[in-house]
Amino acid sequence: MTRRHDAVISILLAATVVAMPVALYRIFLVAPEELVMGAVQKIFYFHVPLAAVTFLSVFVLLAGAVGYLWTRRAVWDHLSIASAEVGLLFCTLVLITGPIWAKPAWGVWWTWEAKLTTTLILWLLLAGILLSRAYATTPEQGARVASVLGVVAALDVPIVYKAVDWWRGQHPIVFGPGKGNPLAPGMGSALMVSLIVFVLLYMLLLASRMRLAGLEDRLAAVEDNVWRSR
Amino acid sequence: MKSYAFLFWGYLVVWLGLAAYFITLMRRVSRVAKRLDDLESRQNAGDGKSTT
Repeated sequence: MTRRHDAVISILLAATVVAMPVALYRIFLVAPEELVMGAVQKIFYFHVPLAAVTFLSVFVLLAGAVGYLWTRRAVWDHLSIASAEVGLLFCTLVLITGPIWAKPAWGVWWTWEAKLTTTLILWLLLAGILLSRAYATTPEQGARVASVLGVVAALDVPIVYKAVDWWRGQHPIVFGPGKGNPLAPGMGSALMVSLIVFVLLYMLLLASRMRLAGLEDRLAAVEDNVWRSR
Repeated sequence: MKSYAFLFWGYLVVWLGLAAYFITLMRRVSRVAKRLDDLESRQNAGDGKSTT
């Protein structure tokens, strides 16, 4: 099991390392520069895939949380821990790259508009999941509370996605039928390659974090055994 | 608007963040795996002594 897990991590690492230069090549050399914003728009090829992967990580977290609440099997909890931690990282990067684009585009780093505020709420929920585990009296209690918070975090994702439709605001609409402007040739493929790289990265980090969670569980069991045998 | 400085900082933050997390994660994995190996080998050595 461990060897297979290590092999999966190695394959994902190799795939990411190979795909990353392809994405950078498409972003900087193939995709045309946007007429109004120029070079600053290229942050879009990072910001949008990071946001998409944040959503993906919350859905995986939801699967882990529901699976754990249903079966109480450790593997679901490992999936939930891993996806919450990696999701928090990606959500943090979304909240950093957004203002880096917003400052030249809007003239401010941050504004309390719907999309940004609901994304910040998602970040707080993910941070809350990790804190609830860290400060729980028992690991079982931590897993239970984190699973419930995971379901709440998943409920926030459609709200983040639909925030611009429901409350308007300054955030551009990029995707959806009849929404936004169609991407110029070269832009769409660069975005797609970048999305693939970030999904590969997510899978790599998720597999590595799940391996750590499994090892920590085994270590706790062995330490408990050693302590009892004394 | 034509400044590449924003872009540079954006990319730097993303890759540094991801790389720092991955390196920290790998260190945590190797530290826990090493501790586990130590304990398991000590436990096995102890079992071996008690059976002989």
